[in-house]
Formats: sequence, structure tokens, C-alpha cells
Amino acid sequence: MAATKTRTSSFSRSAAPSSSIPGLKNGPNGTIFVSSGIPDLDKILGGGFSLGSLVMVMEDTEAPHHMLLLRNFMSQGLVHNHPLLYASPSRDPRAFLGTLPTPVSSKDDKSRDRNTEQEKDLRIAWQYKKYFGEHQQNFEYQRDGKPEYCSDFDLRKPLERHFLSGQCIDCISLQDSPNLATLRDRCSTFLAQLPRRDGNITCAGRIAIQSFCAPQCEYSNMDWDMLSFIRSMKGMVRSSNAVAVLTFPPSLVSSSFSKRLQHLADTLLSVRAIPDEDKELAKLLTGYQDMVGLLNLHKVARINTQVPVILEATTFSIKLQKRRSLVLECLNQAPVDGSSGTSYATTGSCSRSSKTGTLDF
Amino acid sequence: LGFCSNFKISSVVEALNIQATMAESICRALRDGALDGEHAPALTIKDSIDSPFGPDVFNHILTQLSTNILAGKSQSRGIVLVALSRSPSFYVNLLKSRGYDVASSHKWLRVLDCYTDPLGWKDRLMECGSITNLSPEIQVTVNLCKDVRNLDNLFSSILELGKGLVGQRKNRFSVAIDSVTEMLRHASMSSVAGLLSNLRSHDQVSCEFWLLHSDLHESRATAVLEYMSSMLANVEPITRPTNGQIGNSENLSLLEQKSKRGKFHVRFKRRNGRVRLMSEEFCVEQSGIKFTSISSEEGLITQSLVPKVQFNLQLSEKERIERAKVVLPFEHQGNGKSIQIYDGRQSLNESRTETEPISAEKLQTNEDSGRGEIIYFRDSDDEMPDSDEDPDDDLDI
Repeated sequence: MAATKTRTSSFSRSAAPSSSIPGLKNGPNGTIFVSSGIPDLDKILGGGFSLGSLVMVMEDTEAPHHMLLLRNFMSQGLVHNHPLLYASPSRDPRAFLGTLPTPVSSKDDKSRDRNTEQEKDLRIAWQYKKYFGEHQQNFEYQRDGKPEYCSDFDLRKPLERHFLSGQCIDCISLQDSPNLATLRDRCSTFLAQLPRRDGNITCAGRIAIQSFCAPQCEYSNMDWDMLSFIRSMKGMVRSSNAVAVLTFPPSLVSSSFSKRLQHLADTLLSVRAIPDEDKELAKLLTGYQDMVGLLNLHKVARINTQVPVILEATTFSIKLQKRRSLVLECLNQAPVDGSSGTSYATTGSCSRSSKTGTLDF
Repeated sequence: LGFCSNFKISSVVEALNIQATMAESICRALRDGALDGEHAPALTIKDSIDSPFGPDVFNHILTQLSTNILAGKSQSRGIVLVALSRSPSFYVNLLKSRGYDVASSHKWLRVLDCYTDPLGWKDRLMECGSITNLSPEIQVTVNLCKDVRNLDNLFSSILELGKGLVGQRKNRFSVAIDSVTEMLRHASMSSVAGLLSNLRSHDQVSCEFWLLHSDLHESRATAVLEYMSSMLANVEPITRPTNGQIGNSENLSLLEQKSKRGKFHVRFKRRNGRVRLMSEEFCVEQSGIKFTSISSEEGLITQSLVPKVQFNLQLSEKERIERAKVVLPFEHQGNGKSIQIYDGRQSLNESRTETEPISAEKLQTNEDSGRGEIIYFRDSDDEMPDSDEDPDDDLDI
């Protein structure tokens, strides 16, 4: 699993720690993170989605992986009691709430080990090691009964009813209106409840917009209207305590428009389908059988800083572990068969070194 | 909607399709229809002037589905056929020629006739008295549509016909649209997309399929229809005409058209998010269309999806456990055992060298379990143990 090393300065803001509100975590440079609902994605992004940022996911028209990301994001918000605004092109968006996954209860065995941050990379016979047990920086468990920052979701089981009722959940169908004025108004009322003021945060909200440029919507050929809506929404989100996740299919819009949309995003991801039973890919990658798709990370939000995030890896495979939880892994090359002389010319520099058949270190 | 819960069932079902030809796989997918809470499967048949056999494929699929319905094997109980580019009498003749009993077709087939008078002109002329009603006797139950531009009405007509066919309860029907190309002439892209997606998400629709002539539209229209469908069938010529030889390519495609052969490429969007690609050849004959698998295995072009692939530096669980069991020299973590300095001569603690790279991990002090060994051969047995080095103060020796 790739982890970005965020550079933490020796200065820390003297703000009240936001760990009193479930689902929020302090990030570097005075930002606050909310979880995406997928533990691996949080690690890759360096903590989660920043409050006030606009996250865009570029869909692949051949696969529904963006729905997985949205489902986890929405469920995580509901588990933490964050108000939610959901917009989709279907006539009955409420029905989608029935497919949100439920968090795995702590009694079940966790499918992955939780590595605590204080472990060192080398095992050294060092006498001070025995004092290490108490130090708990970045420890993500809270054993006092409050929900964890990021839950592990079981995609096979739906979210319990009590999370869906009595909550501030607002659903909008994008097919209803011929233009984006209603959507803009609803977003603006939703975000007005969550203003950002200096001082304590009382609440954080989430906006999820699915398949924004879907062809069934009447505004879908009004490029500039869509751009202007997203621009205004980005401004509204930035000045409030909310995160907006928007998915759109780039192949259904013109490439220049798609580029403009991509530039508007603070964090940009894309999902891709993979061909089924492809022998070439099976030879090239380990774990191909378990993969359902690929996730690419193009941009990570950096608020209040000029320092960009440089990632070790930007392409991850999406796997469903035990058919129930979403796991993102770095792509790993399958062991090269020394006897075969074939070369895989399609991949980048990493694979070239293996063509000789022996691995040189 | 909820595709993950159906993963297990669908993978078993789809595994059985490996041996069939693609056309059979398509027919099987349409026959099986929709699962509860899911969108109905939708097929786009796409052709172009280079290989204009889309209508033949459409007819084939229509007749296969009819067979399945009559045999009771399919989820759907009937078909609503929206005829835009060919008249209902064409379909009557088609059914007759394939051996179906047209007289009883009212039990499973309804035709929405958008061919005879799509814009209502004949209707208005009849009102003026200019023409008399010349529509021929039709043996199939036909409903006339007088305004194809109003897609909301079209949608309700389709639903009405379908419900009339299969009843109101949980029964489902299929929808076949003769030519979406015709529909797009009269209505906007977003309303056609809306119609198709509303049909797909309606809980009484079992499956849908439609025909599209890709060279009559902008690429966006084709992209939208591909987005709306779960299966895409491309009818293509066997040899692609190259740009530099226009004259030759025309002759080539004429030849191919005379020979009535071509290639059939299918893309299945599977429920787990993977895409199955298959190719076949077909040949159009008097009695219908025949599909054969391609003899030569062409390697599918794997686009470079993977820009940077790393070597696996992670340890699997098993490897991690094994490594944790290795006891390194000088290490005892104050667990009460006496301090032994490993000097290579005594085989008190034997550990084997590790070959795996290192990653972060929790230490397990488990000296009694599982074995790792370091085998160290000293140069000579006369050497003293390394006691002249000052041990570091921090080292736990």
C-alpha cells in the first residue's frame, strides 16, 4: 500500500482538536480531513478529503466503479452523522440509498492488519524499544465507543435503517429540471447550513453528485452552463465545511470541456474498467483475477500550501476482498518467467529491467 | 444499483457462457433479463455503410428472443416492437418465413407502428379528404403512432402495450426498437437517452435492444448510446479500408457486401465491472445469419493501461509471519532469558539469512516457535569471539 509522507512542520495550529466531532481529523496546514470511506484511499491521499475541496471522479462508461466510491463516501458520512445532499440522473434517487453498505462490526475479524504508525522499518535490538507501547500518535482507533474515522464497509449488506431516517439527507433528481438553477439553489441552501467561521466546527457536510453530464439530463449539451455551475459550487464549498464529490463520464463530453472540468477539481480521480480474461494482463500483473478495475489519481487537493503532493504511484487496482470490502493496491508486476524471452513493451521503465530474465538489484 | 450482491450468481451464470458463440451469449443475456433492483440489460447493435448488416443481426436477435419466449425459457413474456424503419408487414413476413404462427402472435407480440405515419401527415390528409385509408390488413396486433416526436407519449404507449401483453403484476416484457437512428431524426439526444434509460429502469421491462447506424450520427450520439447499454455489438467489414486506397476500399466493401460476410465484435459490460471482448465472423444467408468463431487467434490490443508497474515489495501474510519468527542475534527484549553473545561457534541460536526486503511490521518475540536460521561459518576456530569491540551502550546485549 503506498503511503504519502506528508511533511509535518514543527509548528502546529492552536486550534481545538476536531477529534471531538466524529469523522473529522486535523490535517497539515490547518486543513481538516473527512474520510472517503475507503481506508486505502485515505492513506493514499494523505488523510482523506479536505473540507472545502471539490473531488471529481472521471467515470468509465463501461464500468460502475464510480458507484463504489460514491457509496462508500455517502455511507461514511451517514455513519458519522454528516448531512448529505445526493443528486443523480435517475428518477428516484432515494432508491440508491438502499444500496449503501454498512460498516463491518468490530466483532468480525478485520481483513487486514492495522499497522500502527510508530513501528520502525528495521528491527533493531535497542533497549528503548520496550518503552514504545504507550506512544500513540496517529492512532486511529477510539475505544471509547465513538465511531472510527474511517470504517471498513461490507458491500454486501445494506446500511441500517436508522442511519437513513431522521437524518439530513436531501435527494435531487437531475432529470427533473431543464437547467441547473434548481440544483444550484439546493446546493446553496445546503451549504448555507455549514458556514466556515474561525473557531470551532459544529458540523461537516457531504455533497455527492453522480454522473453529472448524463445524457438523459436536458442540460447535458449546455457546456458553459455546466461549467459555470461547477465553478460556483466550488466557490460555495470552499467557504463552507463540506466536501463535494462529483462524478462525470468524460467520454460523453467534448475533450476541451472535459479538460476544463478536470482543471476545476481540487482532487481528481479516474476509474477504468479492465478487460475480462485477458491473458496478456494476467501475465503482466499479480492478482489480476481479483481485480475489478483500476483507479488513477491525477491530482490531490492542497489547501493553504504551495507544496504539491508527489506520489510514488498513481495507478491502483481496485479489488473486492472477500467480495465485501474495497481494497486499493499498487500494481505489482507478476514474477517474470526466466525462460520466456518475450518483452512487454507496453509498460514503462520499471519493466524494462526485467527483460534480461534475472533480477538485478 | 446493488450490483455487488448479485456478483456471485452472475459469475456462475456467465462462466457457463464461455463456450457459446457470442451471438448466443447475447441472446442468453437478453433471455435471462433483469434481476430485481437492477437495470434491464440493453443491447446496441451498431453497423455502418461499410458493413450494412445490422438489420440482419437485429432480425436474428428478434427471432431468437421470440423462440425463447414461446418456449417459456425467458424471463420476458412478450415483445413490444417499435417499428420505425420498416413496416409491420415486413415483420409479419419475417415471422412467417421463419416458421412462426402469426395468428397466435397476439399473445406475445405487439407492434408500435411508427413507420406508416410518424408525423401524422396521412392523418391530416385523411381529414381533408385527400386520401383514403390505405393501410393493408395486418395479422399482427398493431398500434399506430402518429407523432414520434413526442417521446413521453411514446414511452407511455410502449408501457401500455407491454402491460396489455403481460398483465400488471410481476411479469415482464422486452422492448425492441427497430432503429434508434430514425428516432434521433425526430427527437433530441437527451430525450431519446431519457426514454431508453427510463425503459431500462422500469421494473416490468426485462431487456431492450436497438439498432443504430453509426455513420449517420455524430460520435457523441454513438458514445451516449454505448453508455446506455450493457452490451455492444459492432458489425464491421472483415478488412478495414485504409485511408490511402479509397478506390480499392470501395471495391472491397462492395465485394464483401456481395459475399455478405463480415465481423462481429461484442463488448459485454459484466456486473463486476470487467469488460469481455469477443469477436466472430458472420455470414448472411437466405435463411438468416450464421455466426462462426474466428479461426485465427488475433491478439487483442492491450492498451498500455499500466503506466508504471512496480516490483512487489510487500509481504504476504504468510511471509510476514515467517519473517517475524526469525530470531535475530543480540535480540531478546528483556524477556528474562540469559544474555548470549552469538559468536558463530556455538549453535545455540541458529537463524537463516533473510532474503526478503524489509517493511514496517510489529515485532513478535517468540523464541520457541518456528525456525529461521543463520548459518555462519567462521574463518577459523581459533579466533576469539568479538569481545574487544565496545558494545554500544544502547544495544540490548
